[in-house]
Parts: sequence; structure tokens; C-alpha cells
Amino acid sequence: MQVKTFKGGTHPPEKKELAKDVPIEYHLSPKQVVIHLNQHTGAPNQPLVKVGDTVTRGQKIASSEGKLMIPHHASICGVVKKIEPRPQANLQDGVAIVIEADGRTEEAFLPPLDPFACSKAEAIERIKEAGIVGMGGAGFPTWMKLSPPPTKPIDVVIANGAECEPYLTIDYRTLKEQASAVVYGLGVCLQILGVKKGIVAVEDNKIDLLPTLEDAVANFLKGPGNGKGFDIRVSVLKTKYPQGGEKMLITALTGREVPSGGLPMDVGTVVQNVGTLKAIAEAFLQGKPLIDRGFTATGSACKTPKNLVVPIGTVLSDLIPEVIQIEEDLRRVIFGGPMMGVSVPTLDTPIQKNTSGVVFMNSKEALIYEEGNCIRCGRCLQACSCRLSPALLNEAILANDWDLADQLGLLDCIECGTCSYVCPAHVYLVQRFRVGKLTLRAVKASKTKKGGN
Amino acid sequence: MAEKPRLLLSSSPSIYSGMNVQRLMLYVIIALLPTSAYGVYLYGQPALTTILVSVGSCVFFEVAFRKLTNAKQNYTDLSAVVTGILLALVLPPSTPWWMTVLGALAAIVVAKEFFGGLGHNPFNPALIGRAVLLMSFPAALTTWHKPFQTIADATTTATPLNILKLGGTLSDVAQSLGVNQPADVYLSLFLGNRAGCIGESSILLILVGGIFLLATGTIQILTPLSMILTAFVFSLILGMDPLFQILSGGLVFGAVFMATDYVSTPLTPKGKILFGIGAGIITMLIRKFGGFPEGTSYGILIMNAFTPYLNTLVTKKYGYISGRNNS
Repeated sequence: MQVKTFKGGTHPPEKKELAKDVPIEYHLSPKQVVIHLNQHTGAPNQPLVKVGDTVTRGQKIASSEGKLMIPHHASICGVVKKIEPRPQANLQDGVAIVIEADGRTEEAFLPPLDPFACSKAEAIERIKEAGIVGMGGAGFPTWMKLSPPPTKPIDVVIANGAECEPYLTIDYRTLKEQASAVVYGLGVCLQILGVKKGIVAVEDNKIDLLPTLEDAVANFLKGPGNGKGFDIRVSVLKTKYPQGGEKMLITALTGREVPSGGLPMDVGTVVQNVGTLKAIAEAFLQGKPLIDRGFTATGSACKTPKNLVVPIGTVLSDLIPEVIQIEEDLRRVIFGGPMMGVSVPTLDTPIQKNTSGVVFMNSKEALIYEEGNCIRCGRCLQACSCRLSPALLNEAILANDWDLADQLGLLDCIECGTCSYVCPAHVYLVQRFRVGKLTLRAVKASKTKKGGN
Repeated sequence: MAEKPRLLLSSSPSIYSGMNVQRLMLYVIIALLPTSAYGVYLYGQPALTTILVSVGSCVFFEVAFRKLTNAKQNYTDLSAVVTGILLALVLPPSTPWWMTVLGALAAIVVAKEFFGGLGHNPFNPALIGRAVLLMSFPAALTTWHKPFQTIADATTTATPLNILKLGGTLSDVAQSLGVNQPADVYLSLFLGNRAGCIGESSILLILVGGIFLLATGTIQILTPLSMILTAFVFSLILGMDPLFQILSGGLVFGAVFMATDYVSTPLTPKGKILFGIGAGIITMLIRKFGGFPEGTSYGILIMNAFTPYLNTLVTKKYGYISGRNNS
């Protein structure tokens, strides 16, 4: 089988063996949940409930009128205790609805819907109403991805099971245990977009999934996907970071490059994380909104590396120590993976719709280096997944030369962090690019305002 | 109760490859060991003295300069050691110790620290050290000794490139190398039994070091390959014996160890290739038409000046294929 990949990238230690073989555990009855109003790309939602209201699992509790509208739902039955700012994984500490469990086990789901019988508009409305966002990390509303303008025809949908971040294994477990739901979700996307070709992509460190996935595809094509002319294949990618980045994945599988400043739909592709696809399947088969999610709890300071499914809004500290045991020597808590995840200041941070993992690091692993001088070794140029020149970008930013930084492709940086990972001098490359992108956008905006170029 | 240590909060990534500057420099030192040891084997104690004096004074000058200017000490990165070895290896074995010290002063203080230390020097420090000595003491820097003799009572000789520069033929070189057939000259040159700078003679051992650097990912092959290939082709065009030109002088040493210097050479693949081509051409022009028999060090130094420009020749970025986008 051909193993596909992209140019650049790096090979951090995988550390997936910690949680890879631990089946997903379900812990669906936390004592409280903290549901943030801004856990997706787009304007924050407005609460639809007030303090003191009784809510049921699956009930819509927040929504907005914005273009990127995505509602949020109560993930447990209980009483709204507070609506106030709470610690958050994106460090914005936005307003959250705090629900205290009342012990009921009712569910207020939507009625099941057959995606292959209903209209396209109904299907998209269902995905929107179910509050589904990209669960790989970005949190982009899924219905938007499935509603490309007519000028951008799509010809392939990719199920992203690359899971290139070290440590994380939830996508692997989801594919192993619920491959049929993932393939069903992919089929729904094909149906909505009117596309025949689907690809389920995994890195070759998950090659043991191949029979499972191929069985799931065959069963789907014989079952719900029968007679639709779907062509769904399983593709194997080289294990390399950031293989799961949308752009890298598309290039590896199709040879196409997403144009600078563009979206995957500009090259006829839609990419969905496997967790998202599973959520889509549940939204139709069970009428269940996105209220639970799987994540990997792992790391050098985690005594119980495992894969979990919890209601969204479950506060990390509520899982400790009953579900997750951590060592005394805890120095870093990362929401997401170690390459792109966000280090949080407190364990009182809730699991969000886009939390794919929590990595606990001990003092041996959690290190911060003093920034050294760039020695111009060029390792970052070889590693950059977007073929940029990080060392030169760094110089341009340090010199406040925003025209040069723009020319060198600062805005094309996907912030995968590979440059900083390989840098022998520990130059704060991606860190500087993150800030630099904001500054460059501001500089450009002020130029436009002045009527300049 | 003692306060628990706070959680670390730095921007991702939260893991690092473990590669650091010290280790990269250590790889270069290891790669230089075979040819250094062979230099000591050829010329004995004077070669060893030159290497030790050069390394010692390079480290001393860096520490002293940083102390005087209240800058942060960073001798642990081993870059001064690398500069010291490189400088010694491009000097004749009979270089008086005080000249070596002066060369180290020029390399470390003038060429490197004045510009802000490691990472900021536009020119290769070791080659600046050699260039300063060559201009100041042309006689001493072009006095060569036959291998396997003590310097004190040894007869001076000419390097193979010298012999050709003065109008000699391959047979004359064969005679000076003590081989019977002119054809044996190439093998002799490849193995390194000839007069020259301490570290430049054995092409075999230089290549061993170069392969080690490539295997460890310390250097990329682009610059050395383009430099040597260019020198080969260009010497052919100039009507010289290309194989002889590659195997003699400091061309291979320069291509492997000097043209791959991180700081003073281009970062981009296109830049690296053009750097090698330029250095190869200039080296051969100097050998053919210049006043000196050897031109490698000036070839590389002159190309160092082009580096900032060559760095603007970046690779095509991701997402700029169709020409729909303006870069």
C-alpha cells in the first residue's frame, strides 16, 4: 500500500503507547458542568436560560444570530447555578453557564433523521442545531464546511484520523471502537455535498486499524450507503508531524495545495475530524446534539493514561482523583497535544467541544528554555510544513519589517510549532509568529484605512 | 504549608527535539578529528601545538572579550573550539605560535564578537583569521614542509598547487610526492601524503568527516556538492586538470567544513547551491589567474558577502502554485 505524505515536518516521540490500548471509558455523570458561550469560532452565544432554571440533557441553552451560529446544549440534567466568567482552555476565561447535576437521567434529544432521505437543507440544519464544531481542535462550525458556495465544487471528503499530535489516542480509539459511526458520518457529508469520493486517512502508526476500517466501509456501502455510488477508501499516511494539519493532509492525499489565504473548499476538498464525523452520525441516528466528547488524559505526570468520554463542560478537577490520577510533581497541564495545545493555569478548566486531549507533564518533561541566538543552521527551513523560512521570518519580525514578513509568508504560517520544536537555539519562532500574525493583520488593516496599499 | 509550584504557562510547543547548539558543534568537532589527527601524524608536534594554541586562544579571546564587554558567557556552546580547530587546520604546520594567537584574535574578536558573537558574523571567522595572517605574514603562511620530518631541520618544499603555479607538470608533482607514475599522483593526493595546511591534505579523511556530518543531519549536501562539481566543470573549461584541482589544495576541506558554516552561508536551498557555484568559480579563477596558487579561502569569503542576498532566494511557499496569488 502506498504511504503518502508532504514535504517538511518532524518526528517527535509518539508517546501514544501510554493510552493507545486503553478502551474508552464513559463517565457521563459529573456533579457539574461549565459550558462556555464562546467555545467555537465566531461570535459568543447568548444564554437562553437564567440562573435557577432546570435544564435537561440535550436542551439548547445558548445560541446567537451570528453568521457562524452554533448553539450549545446542556450536557447533563440539572439546575443553572451561575452564569459567569470561568477559566477556559483558550485562556479567554469567557462567560459560562454552570449547571449543577440534579440526578435526573432524562434526555431532550431531537428526533432521529434519515440523512439519506431528507433534503440537503434539512440535513445541514440538523448539523447546525446539533451544535457540531470541528473537534480536532479548531472549533470551526461544521455546517459551514458543508455549505460551500456553488462556485466551489467539492469532489472529495476526507475523514481525518491522522492524529499526528504526540500522546493523543482518542481518534485512534474512536476509529477502533466506533468505525461504523465515523464512516456513517463521512457518508452523511458525501450525501450533503453530493460528492462520491470519500477517504478515511490514518497515519501508518495506526495501520492495525486497516481491517476494521475496511470492514466498516464495506458494511456502510452495503447498508445505509447502498446504491448511492459512493467510493470510500482507506488511505495510509506516513507518521509525521503535522500530517493531520488540513493543508498537509490534502496535499498528501490529493497532491493539491490549498492556495494562500484560502480554504480546503478552494481545492475541492472538505476535511472532517473523525470525532466530528461520529458526532454527525449521532445527530442523525439518535438526534443527539454534541454534548459528549472523547479525549485522551495522558502524560508523564498522569498515573492513569486513558481515553475518556465525558459530557462537554466537565471540569477537569472533578475527574481527579476518581477517574484520573495525577502525580504530586505536576508542572504543566496542556489542553490539546504537546505541539499545539494550550497550557492552562488551573485544573478547574472544563473540557470543551474542541478538547482532544489533556496532557499532564511532570517537572522533568515540562521545560522552558531561555531563548538563544539564531545560529542560522537552517533546520527550521527544512522542517517547516508550509515551506516557509522561519529563521528569516524571525529576523523580519525582530526588525519590525512587516512588508518583508508579509512577503515571506507570515500569514501562511499554520502555527504547527515544528520550527520551534527543531530549533537547537530555542529561538521563540512560532511563538513570535503567533503575535506577529496579529500585528501584521493590524498593520495591513491600518494601511487599508488610510487608503494606502 | 509550602506553596505548590505553579503550573508552567508557555506558548506551545511544549516539547522540544533535544537538539542544541552545543551538540551540533560537538558533531563538527568529531568530524574534524580524523583529519586533525592525520595532520599531527604527518607533521608531528608543531601541528599539535598549532591546533592547541589556536583552540586555546580562540576560547580565551571569546571569554575575555565577553568579560570586558559584560556580555553573557557562552563558551559552553563550543563554537570557539570549532573556530580554533578550523583556523589551525588551514595554517601551515610551521606557523609560529604567536602568529596563530594573532590569527585567533582576528577570527574571534574582529570577525565574530565585533559583530555580536555567534549568529551575527557575516564572514567565516576562521577564514578571516587565515586571511589576516596571509596578508600580514605572506612568507610564513606559504612555507610548507615535507611530511614526516621534524620542522627544525626539515627541508621546505612546495605544495602540488605551487608546483603547477610555477609552471611545473604532473611529473614534477609526482617527483615531489615520491611516487613513480604521474597517474599515482591522484591516489597519493586522495590519501593525503603531501605538503600543505595541517588539515587539508587527506581528502579521504575529510570525506569521512563530511559523511558523518551528513549522517547526523548537521549539514546539508547542497553547498559542498555544488562547490566541488562547479570547480570540476569550471577547471575543465579553463583547461586545467579537474581531478588534480579537486584533490589538491584546500578545496574539499573548504567545501565540507567552511562553505557549510551556518552563520556565514545561505539558509535557503537555492542560496546554498548558488553559494557553492560561486565559491567554486572564484576558487578556480584565483588558481588560474590570481597571484596565489590557492583560492579556496577567498572564494568562500567573497561568497560570504553574497549571503544576505542569496537568502532572499526562498523556496516556493506552500499554497502558491497556480499563480493566482501574489507573493
